[in-house]
Amino acid sequence: MTEASLYLLQQIINGLTIGSTYALIAIGYTMVYGIIGMINFAHGEIYMIGSYISFIVITGLLAMGHIALPAVLFVALVVAMLVASSYGWAIERVAYRPLRGSNRLIALISAIGMSIFLQNYVVLAQGSRDVAMPPLISGSLVEFGSLETFEVTISWMQLLIWVVTLISMTVLTLFISRSRMGRACRACAEDIGMTNLLGIDTNRIIAMTFVIGAALAAIAGLLLGLYYGVVNPFVGFIAGLKAFTAAVLGGIGSIPGAMLGGLILGVTEALTAAYFPSEYKDVVSFGLLVLILLFRPTGILGKPEVEKV
Amino acid sequence: MAIKMKGFSKTLLATAAALAIAGTAQAETLKIALAGPATGPVAQYGDMQKIGVEAAIDYFNANGGINGMEVEGVIYDDACDPKQAVAVANKIVNDGITHVVGHLCSSSTEPASDIYYEEGILMITAASTSPSITEKGYDTIFRTIGLDSLQGTLAADYISGTVKPERVAVIHDKQQYGEGLATTVRDSLVEAGIEPVMFEGVTAGDKDFSALIAKLQKADVDFVYYGGYHPELGLILRQSKEKGFEAQFMGPEGIVNSDLAKIAGDATEGVLATAPKSFDKNPENALRVAAIEEKGLDPTGPFVFPAYAAVQIMADTIDAIDSTDPMAMAEYISANEFETAIGHVKYDDKGDLTESTFLVYELHADGSKTAAE
Repeated sequence: MTEASLYLLQQIINGLTIGSTYALIAIGYTMVYGIIGMINFAHGEIYMIGSYISFIVITGLLAMGHIALPAVLFVALVVAMLVASSYGWAIERVAYRPLRGSNRLIALISAIGMSIFLQNYVVLAQGSRDVAMPPLISGSLVEFGSLETFEVTISWMQLLIWVVTLISMTVLTLFISRSRMGRACRACAEDIGMTNLLGIDTNRIIAMTFVIGAALAAIAGLLLGLYYGVVNPFVGFIAGLKAFTAAVLGGIGSIPGAMLGGLILGVTEALTAAYFPSEYKDVVSFGLLVLILLFRPTGILGKPEVEKV
Repeated sequence: MAIKMKGFSKTLLATAAALAIAGTAQAETLKIALAGPATGPVAQYGDMQKIGVEAAIDYFNANGGINGMEVEGVIYDDACDPKQAVAVANKIVNDGITHVVGHLCSSSTEPASDIYYEEGILMITAASTSPSITEKGYDTIFRTIGLDSLQGTLAADYISGTVKPERVAVIHDKQQYGEGLATTVRDSLVEAGIEPVMFEGVTAGDKDFSALIAKLQKADVDFVYYGGYHPELGLILRQSKEKGFEAQFMGPEGIVNSDLAKIAGDATEGVLATAPKSFDKNPENALRVAAIEEKGLDPTGPFVFPAYAAVQIMADTIDAIDSTDPMAMAEYISANEFETAIGHVKYDDKGDLTESTFLVYELHADGSKTAAE
C-alpha cells in the first residue's frame, strides 16, 4: 500500500476508536429522547462520574496488589456501571419525574441545572485538577507498513475499546429486540399513553432507560479513562456535547442511528485533523451537524416524527 | 492560616512602629514601598516578594545602610486587584515615597505604573511579565524578571544551536500564552535557517490527539515544540508513546508542573522546557539563602531573588549618584549594568532585561528537573 493510503487507514482506525465511545454515550441521549422526548443534558456528567468511579476502583485495587489486571478492570467496570446507573435512576426520580407532563422546556432547564449541580458536586468532592492514572494497557497488536513510509498501528487499548463497544451494543440490541422489557421499551417509544393504558408500568420503563443509558456511559467513562489516563470534572460537558451531536446526526430517538452517528462523527473528526489543521476539527464536525439538520432534520436513520393526536 | 495571619499582623505592627520612629529621623531613612498582594488568593506571591525585599533591606542595614541611610520597607496591599492597585499607588504618592518594588500581578502593575510615571516615582517590578507594561515607554519603570517572549527566543536558540533537529513541528493550544510563544519560536527558528514543517493549533481541553500524532509521524518529525500548558502536552506525550512516535518534545514554563509526569508517566523523561532559573541554587546566593532560612522563611519562591535584586539595583544606583532623586536614578539604571542576586543585569531602552532569566531544563519521569546541557 502507498504511504497515503496507509495514513488514511491509520486515521480511520483512530476515528473509529473515538467514534465508538461517542456512540456509547449517544445511546443514553437517544433512548431518553425516543421515549419521553426530552434531552437529558446531565448525561455527559454521568459519563464523567463513571470515569471517576473506575479510576477510584482501579487505583484502589491496584494498591492492594496481587490482583490480575483483567479482574481489576472487570470489577471497575461493574462498580462504575452500578454507581452510574444509580445516579441515572436518581436523576430521573429527582429532577425529571416530578416535571413530567409539564412543558418540555421546564424539563430541559431542570436537566441543565442537574448538569451544573453534578459538575460542581464532583469539583467539591474530588477537586478540580486533573486526576491521572498510569498507562495500564500498552503496546500494539498489529503494525504493518514499513518504517520508511508509514507504519499503521492498532494498539491493544484501541482493540479493547472496539471489542467492549461491540459487545455492549450487541447486548443492548438483543435486549431491546428480544426481551419483554425491551418490547415494553419499544412500545413506550411508539405511544407512551397507550402503553400505559395497556397495563405496563411506564414509570418503570422510563427509569430503566435512564439506567441503561447511564450504564453505557459508565462503560465509555472507563474505556476513555483508560485510553487517556486523565479525568477532570469538566470532561463530561464536551463529551456530552459530542455524543449529543452524534445522536442528532444519526437520528435522535434511533438506537442504530446513535451508533452510526458516533462512528461517523469520530471518523469525520480524525479525517479533518488528518488533512486540515487540527484546530478545524470541531468546526467541521459541528458544521456537519448544521448541514444534516438543514437537509435532513430527522438525522440519517431517524424517522420523521408523526404528530401525536 | 492562623499562624500566617499572626505573622502578617506582626509585620504590620512592626511597620507601624517603624513608621512612628521614622517620623523623628526622616533625613536618615530611605523608605521603599513594597506593593503587592498581602491578602487574597495569590498572597503567597506577595510573601515571596516580601521575603526577598526584607532580606535585602536587612543586609544593607547590617552593612551601614544605603549611602549611609537606613532602609525601611513599607508594605502596601493591592490584593492583586487592579482597582486596589490604583488606590495603593495614590497612597504611596501621598505618603511621599518615591521608590517602589512591585507590583506583582501584571494587571495591577499596569494601572499603577501610569500613576508612578506621572508622579516621577521609580518602580521596579520583580514579577510582572506582561510585555505591555514596558511598551508604554515609561522611563521610570523597570523589571527584574524576564518577559514571557524571552522563553521563545531562548527555546529557538537551544533548538537550532544544541539539538539541531532535522524536521521540527511547532504545536500550540491557540491561547494567548501558548500561541504567542509558539509564534516566537517559529519566527526565531526561521531566522536561524530552520523552517518548521508544521505549525498547528490544537484545542485546549481536548483529550484525543491520535490524529495529530499520526500526522506528525507522517511528516517524519523528530522535534516538537509545544506552546501551551501541561494537561494537553501530557496527553500528547502519553499517546505518542502508545503509538510509538519518538521525537524530542520541548515546551515553555507552562508545562513545568509535577502533574505532567502524573499524566504522561515515563514519557515525561527527557522532555525539554524553559523555566525561570532557580536563583536559590546559585552558589553566589548561598549566604543570602542562609540568611533567609535563618529567619524561618522559604528562599525557593520564583520572585524572592528578583525582588532582592530590585533593592540591590536601587542601592547601587543611590551609592553611585549620591542622590535618591527617582528621575536621576532611572537615567542611571537604564545606562548602566548591575551585578545582582539574579546575575548580570542590563536594561534595554524599554526597561526590560536584555538577558533572559530563563534556563533550559530537562524534565524527568519522577517530576523533577535538571538543567539541560
